[in-house]
Amino acid sequence: MTQGYWVILRTEIFSLFISPATYVSTFYFLALLGVGFRFFIESFPATNWILPPLSSLALGLLFGAPALIPFLTMRTIAEERRLGTLETLMTAPVDAVSIIAGKWSASYFFYLLICCGAYSYPLLVCIIFPGQAESLGFLKPEHWIGGFVFLMSFGASFCAIGIFSSSITRNQMVAGMLSFSLITLYLAIMAFSYGEPTKIDEFRSYDDLFAMVGGSLHRGLDKIQFFALGVLHIPTILHQLIVVFFFLSLAKLQVEKIRH
Amino acid sequence: MSAETKPLPIIEVLNLKKRYGLIQALKGISFSVGKGEIIGFLGPNGAGKSTTLKILSGLIPADSGEAKVCGVDLAEEGGEVRNHIGFLPENNPLPEELRVIEYLHFRAMLKGLRGSRKRDRIRIALDICDLERKVSERKIGNLSKGYRQRVGIADALLTEPRLVILDEPTIGLDPRQSAVTRKMMERLRGEVTFLLSSHILSEVEACCDRMIILSHGQIVTEGTLNELQEEFINRTIFEVIALTDRMSLQKSVREIDQTCELLQDEPVDVSGKKRFIFSTEKGEVVVEAILRYLVKIPDLRVFEFQIERPDLETIFLRATKKNWEENDLLGKRSRRFKIE
Repeated sequence: MTQGYWVILRTEIFSLFISPATYVSTFYFLALLGVGFRFFIESFPATNWILPPLSSLALGLLFGAPALIPFLTMRTIAEERRLGTLETLMTAPVDAVSIIAGKWSASYFFYLLICCGAYSYPLLVCIIFPGQAESLGFLKPEHWIGGFVFLMSFGASFCAIGIFSSSITRNQMVAGMLSFSLITLYLAIMAFSYGEPTKIDEFRSYDDLFAMVGGSLHRGLDKIQFFALGVLHIPTILHQLIVVFFFLSLAKLQVEKIRH
Repeated sequence: MSAETKPLPIIEVLNLKKRYGLIQALKGISFSVGKGEIIGFLGPNGAGKSTTLKILSGLIPADSGEAKVCGVDLAEEGGEVRNHIGFLPENNPLPEELRVIEYLHFRAMLKGLRGSRKRDRIRIALDICDLERKVSERKIGNLSKGYRQRVGIADALLTEPRLVILDEPTIGLDPRQSAVTRKMMERLRGEVTFLLSSHILSEVEACCDRMIILSHGQIVTEGTLNELQEEFINRTIFEVIALTDRMSLQKSVREIDQTCELLQDEPVDVSGKKRFIFSTEKGEVVVEAILRYLVKIPDLRVFEFQIERPDLETIFLRATKKNWEENDLLGKRSRRFKIE
């Protein structure tokens, strides 16, 4: 059945490359990110930003994801359900896991391409203005690797949420809005109490309770502090992998339910 | 043929049941289909045809019962069966933005075809379905319904399947396009087993070796057209065009068969020729004996003689009528019970 996965992955990547919506959203996203990044590094010496300036790019991509990911995922299953081609797809020797995994991988691949596009900005700074790049810390490879792994792990879970949203409706607009809402909610939960010191031993507030039950969800965005410096925080990566597995399993169940 | 050498049936179904919520779609159907047969799967809407076809193609599981397709037990390896069959689903949904050739390449790769074998099989499937090169370069969204159906059938034939299941392949097609589908089946007759669901009875009559008629989730009858004619139409109707009068012809006919009744007589033209329609409880052998007798009578000139066979539509209506009445009666009883 793995042959089905590769064929679906290839076809989905092809359909993303020929979709005008993907190009329009990618262009606007990268353009806005580029403008924001330029102003940030220009004003960086005047700010009290404690992380390496390259991490601003990762955060920009992360908070832009709720607007970007729906464009990559909303069509995947919702459109197939609307046209009825999901049933036709299932008449071939291919299982629901291959379909879901193939579609998720294609969206994820495109997301990573966009991340690569975003990282071309600091790369250009390094090539054109090496002196400034050095003063901004752009020449430290661990900052690049850490930031990209952070985006990879969060992007994987965002794409899984998008695929799940697409699997539960026939309307791609509804899928897009649901995807936007779920990713925003997910980010909001992780951003809860961002930057405050952890008080695990005290249970006086809702934050303490959330810290207990939320596990690595709690202050998830704080973990960028590790990645920005090039430290790969394994619990965060595992946490995102669990989210990927959870939402893709739900999407698989949904696709199998359609068959029955 | 001895039991040892007899080939295994392509489809073996035993007491298959399927329920959708409160509706029992299949109430325990059993049948088998041999290699190379073309089977017409008939029944009114909601009879359970599409459900059966989806179960046989491994798309949905049955609730109970046994089903083997190409030797694969569907309960154990439902997905495996899709390697051996071609399936054209009802309405044949296709991705509109792809070109025909792109779609067939995609489907061929999904089905595990690679390299030159893939190219060869696509070329053969296009040829069988009469899809010329110009059409294969067009986008599916721009094709007519007939061509889209042909694309679906070409997809079903890609992997040289032993069984092809076609769910309403000619629905909404004009007679010329339907003829292309029939031609395709004729071309593959004997090599590939076809299970064809259709409401167009004349088409099924023309191309199927055997019919299975379903109603309310049960098989009401199955057999060849001749077998069904004998089962459901227990009288033989024949027509004689002759230059004679009613009394003498009836007398002559009754010398061979006492039970023969004259149903109708009417003039054909001004020369005095008349058309006589008779009905007998006895079979075609007796009717042929009547003909041989009539042509030997010197004063009787027979111009035409024809045994009228009931068409599949008549058989279908009779086969499903009884079942409908039974189910309807049950419905009325249950409704009456509720009112009381």
